[in-house]
Amino acid sequence: MSAAVKIWEGENVINLEIYDTFAEMKKGLQKEIRQSKVLLPGMKINVYVGDKSLTDKQIREIEDILLDYGLHLKELMTNGPPGKQKRKESFSKVSEEGFIGFPEDMPEYEETALIRRNLRSGQKCFARGNIVILGDVNPGAEVIAGGNIIVMGVLRGMAHAGAFGDENTVIAALRLNPTQLRIANHITRPPDGEVIIVNAPEIARIRAGKVVIEKLKI
Amino acid sequence: MKGKVIVITSGKGGVGKTTTTANLGTALAMMNQKVVLIDTDIGLRNLDVVMGLENRIVFDIVDVVNGNCKLKQALIKDKRFEGLYLLPAAQTKDKSAVSPHQMKNLTNELRNSFDFILVDCPAGIEQGFKNAIAGADDAIVVATPEVSSVRDADRIIGLLEAAGLNNPRLIINRLRSKMVKRGDMMDIGDIIEILSIELLGVVPEDETIVISTNKGEPAVIENNSRAGAAYRRIARRIMGENVPIESLDDTGNLVDRFRKMLKLAR
Ligand SMILES: Nc1ncnc2c1ncn2[C@@H]1O[C@H](COP(=O)(O)OP(=O)(O)OP(=O)(O)O)[C@@H](O)[C@H]1O
Ligand SMILES: [Mg+2]
Repeated sequence: MSAAVKIWEGENVINLEIYDTFAEMKKGLQKEIRQSKVLLPGMKINVYVGDKSLTDKQIREIEDILLDYGLHLKELMTNGPPGKQKRKESFSKVSEEGFIGFPEDMPEYEETALIRRNLRSGQKCFARGNIVILGDVNPGAEVIAGGNIIVMGVLRGMAHAGAFGDENTVIAALRLNPTQLRIANHITRPPDGEVIIVNAPEIARIRAGKVVIEKLKI
Repeated sequence: MKGKVIVITSGKGGVGKTTTTANLGTALAMMNQKVVLIDTDIGLRNLDVVMGLENRIVFDIVDVVNGNCKLKQALIKDKRFEGLYLLPAAQTKDKSAVSPHQMKNLTNELRNSFDFILVDCPAGIEQGFKNAIAGADDAIVVATPEVSSVRDADRIIGLLEAAGLNNPRLIINRLRSKMVKRGDMMDIGDIIEILSIELLGVVPEDETIVISTNKGEPAVIENNSRAGAAYRRIARRIMGENVPIESLDDTGNLVDRFRKMLKLAR
């Protein structure tokens, strides 16, 4: 029986309101997915948690569970105070504009840490200045820099540039495919649904108060 | 004799470490190698069950490191193959009953009388994992084609590298080629791209594994088990033979190859 998976106005909603703790919620979610006959890999799912509020980390855990079954989290629905449950804003890719180079006002930092290997899940690196990585940053790995971040490989994990608040810092990678990007205090993630895979170097920076991604000419 | 110590690990539980240890060990023994399998999953031993040797256990690994018996006394001889032995795990709850230092001494002692020492690692990244890798020269990472399993494998590879095991090799287990073709399962290319380590082999999802596990007879001894055949080929690769990875080729029908080319060109 899978009463908790309902189609509300054409949307797939999994109702987790009945569960008290987050641990039960996760178990319940897995059970609902396994028992459901209407869910198919690739679907976008709304998750309803009623009056409860979840931390960003918990939302990510929910996303991970869904991903294990090939599902994507569309929206976390709640009755809680508005704003608190607001999803992170997603970054936009401005590919039509074509190629740009590194911006003129990109800040310079004295120190640059050079990392000559892949960063794997669970590994973190931190530097007060810039970080240059000669390798990939995998999902679950984190790069945090006071300055700019350049990845000479695929960025699939989390990168935070301008960690002390510098909004002019940039994040560039040969392939930019992150789970999350942070610049100063802007936290963004890829837009839900269709993943646009751009097989070219890209650069992320803040423009008019929003994180945008553009093709990078090196 | 200077044997090689290979740890079989995964991070995520239930992806096929024990199955892999039993089958590779048996396949290597079928190739006339002297092999010992060590079960380091203390508290949850089951390599003995998969090998069908459960009823012969008298002493276990904790008895050996505590000096309750000689190493030789605890080694159980396989019922089918000459030169194949098992050192079982203990059923105690105390996971710190063995230390990395003791594991290192143990594997070093076994090197003198065996060609291969295969270490079946417990799931997770705690003490049991640290023990299992302590004496290893090489590591084999087992992953299934699922996002969570690949994520954990990546984490494990990072920890192996940090421990000086720099070139772990990958076995992808339980691949369902039909699902991959439908695009419902990660394909080999996706996995290798993220993990960027050498692929040692691909084992298909195969119910003969379940049947043989229940019988206590590794699938490699069945001639018509597809998974068994895959493990036999992996054993030949471990012996240094150049055996092509077949599953890469068998998904290579025209449409797939065309799709791959497009993906590469995009
Ligand atoms: N290729 C396969 N096809 C079908 N079933 C498989 C395959 N490989 C493993 N299994 C099944 O998956 C289950 C888990 O396998 P196994 O015990 O080898 O995993 P493990 O990684 O050792 O688990 P643990 O982390 O608990 O030690 C078993 O029931 C086994 O029969
Ligand atoms: Mg096991």
